[in-house]
Amino acid sequence: MKRNLSPLFSAAFLLAFPVAVYAVDISVDSTSIVRFEQRDIPGSSKQDIQPFTQFLGLDARKLGDGNLSLHLYGWGRADMGDTSYGDSKTDGNLTYGYLQYRFEKTDADIRAGRFFVREGIINEQVDGISARTDLPFGFGLSAFGGATVHTEDLYGENSDGKGDYIAGGRISFRHKGLLELGISGVYEDTAPALVNYVNGTNRKIGADIWLSPHRAIELVGHSSYNTETSEMAEHRYLLNLRPATGLVLSGEYSDQREQSLFYSWAMFSGAAVNPGDKARTTAITASYYLDKTTEIILGYKHYNREIGNADRYGGDMKLSFMDNRLRGGLGYYYLQAGDNFAITGTSSASYHNLRAYVMHDTKTYFSSVEALCRLFDEKIYGEDTAYEAAFSLGYHITPALALSGDISYGKNPDYQDETKGLVRLTYNMTYDNKGEKK
Amino acid sequence: MRILQTSFMVVLLVGLFIFLVSCAGMKGTPNGYSSHADYISAGQQISCSECHEDQQKGTMKSFASFNHSAVFVKNHGHYAATDDRLCASCHKSSFCTDCHTNKTEIKPSLLYGNRPDRELPHRGNYMTLHKIEGKLDPSSCYRCHGRSNNERCIACHR
Repeated sequence: MKRNLSPLFSAAFLLAFPVAVYAVDISVDSTSIVRFEQRDIPGSSKQDIQPFTQFLGLDARKLGDGNLSLHLYGWGRADMGDTSYGDSKTDGNLTYGYLQYRFEKTDADIRAGRFFVREGIINEQVDGISARTDLPFGFGLSAFGGATVHTEDLYGENSDGKGDYIAGGRISFRHKGLLELGISGVYEDTAPALVNYVNGTNRKIGADIWLSPHRAIELVGHSSYNTETSEMAEHRYLLNLRPATGLVLSGEYSDQREQSLFYSWAMFSGAAVNPGDKARTTAITASYYLDKTTEIILGYKHYNREIGNADRYGGDMKLSFMDNRLRGGLGYYYLQAGDNFAITGTSSASYHNLRAYVMHDTKTYFSSVEALCRLFDEKIYGEDTAYEAAFSLGYHITPALALSGDISYGKNPDYQDETKGLVRLTYNMTYDNKGEKK
Repeated sequence: MRILQTSFMVVLLVGLFIFLVSCAGMKGTPNGYSSHADYISAGQQISCSECHEDQQKGTMKSFASFNHSAVFVKNHGHYAATDDRLCASCHKSSFCTDCHTNKTEIKPSLLYGNRPDRELPHRGNYMTLHKIEGKLDPSSCYRCHGRSNNERCIACHR
């Protein structure tokens, strides 16, 4: 299916340009990047990588009767030095490309083409059609169907493990800005049998809730049930409390049956996971704006899996000055993890993570500096430290066109030296029907 | 299989019933979301309630729920799953697909290397860390790389 549809969508991507010319509002987002990277992996020869990558997005609004729009986004890459990835020196992808008709009432819309569906427990990419609408009395409906968007074939297989078609939808009910309840489900074609992996079919149903009996209290989350394993797959809930202006206290809880959650994750043979394996996380986070310039975040998270327990705790500070033109941040957390979480051949998974950055924007130039450091409790591949320093400097040639360059240097257990650089040209502009810039 | 088919039939029938009842009383609810893209600058920490009074209209949720605090940013998936039309009043789809996509060319943190404030995932050398974090919480990998965006994973995980 993928092989048949991809050229069609690529053609649609090109054909869209003349269509878009007649649109009232055309928004173009272009990012051209040339990377310069030297890879020095222990035991391998050095590689010089210089890929050129073009990211291009186009949104044409107010087409037809004014309610129709076209949305396209994709990228293409050509290697100018050694092959940067895989066997080919060129690659590309249409991330999404769809026509959308938005009705004037009821927040209803219809989409056709390649798009992402995020509704309740559903998170899928589809080549097909979707529709949704709000209905009176607080109800809402959405539905989608079409061909599954396939990804790279798994190693030694002629498939990525997904079925060829997919459908699903969500029914929701809202009450006075206090409550939203949803029921959603996804049904995929039977997954193909694989030689080297244990595969399962993607079919789940679930329920979601948003409850806010008072503006200072909010509960949001979902539960999903795998109809193939006849087991709950996941419960995932978040409780937010806002006892004072600028203060958010949150508690997070998730509980997963790993086989049911990962059942259609063919790459890791999710269907073969021990049915009894469970994972549970609990976390608390506090975020507080001291004033408009400073946000402080403190957090703690506990992990529990069959192989052991782990705890992560730490905090961040975010700063913003000069009407947001000068921003910065500091962060630290420590992961204390059981030995079973350690990398094979090492004895500990615990590490400290430190990060700091500062950035400055003006009408003419923009710059940022970022430093990252990880201190491992026990050496990993003979290294007890990983660090990276990155610097970026850019210039606004026009308000819409900017040229920038990044350079970074780092050292870590996987790379003795990692030096990376890139040059980036970005163009973001919206035109109206007279060709005037907006 | 039988449970699934029964479940879908029940959901379909309930949906059809709600649709018919609702259509009978439908007078045309106005659209709730409009574009804010022209008013907001890059990197601005959005606080909806800074401009909007936090009053309830119809079935709209509290604006305070969508203030972009660190807690919101970390848990944005919960909100995007039910209110992506509200997200779209400021963000284009490409904002989501920088991370949540089927095939990536460059790590988001590298693509936006000039925007360290966006806290994009896999900063620095994540090659080492993923061997720890993946064991710690594989569901955190699964949300982006599970059934899509797995091309890079296949290179080693064979």
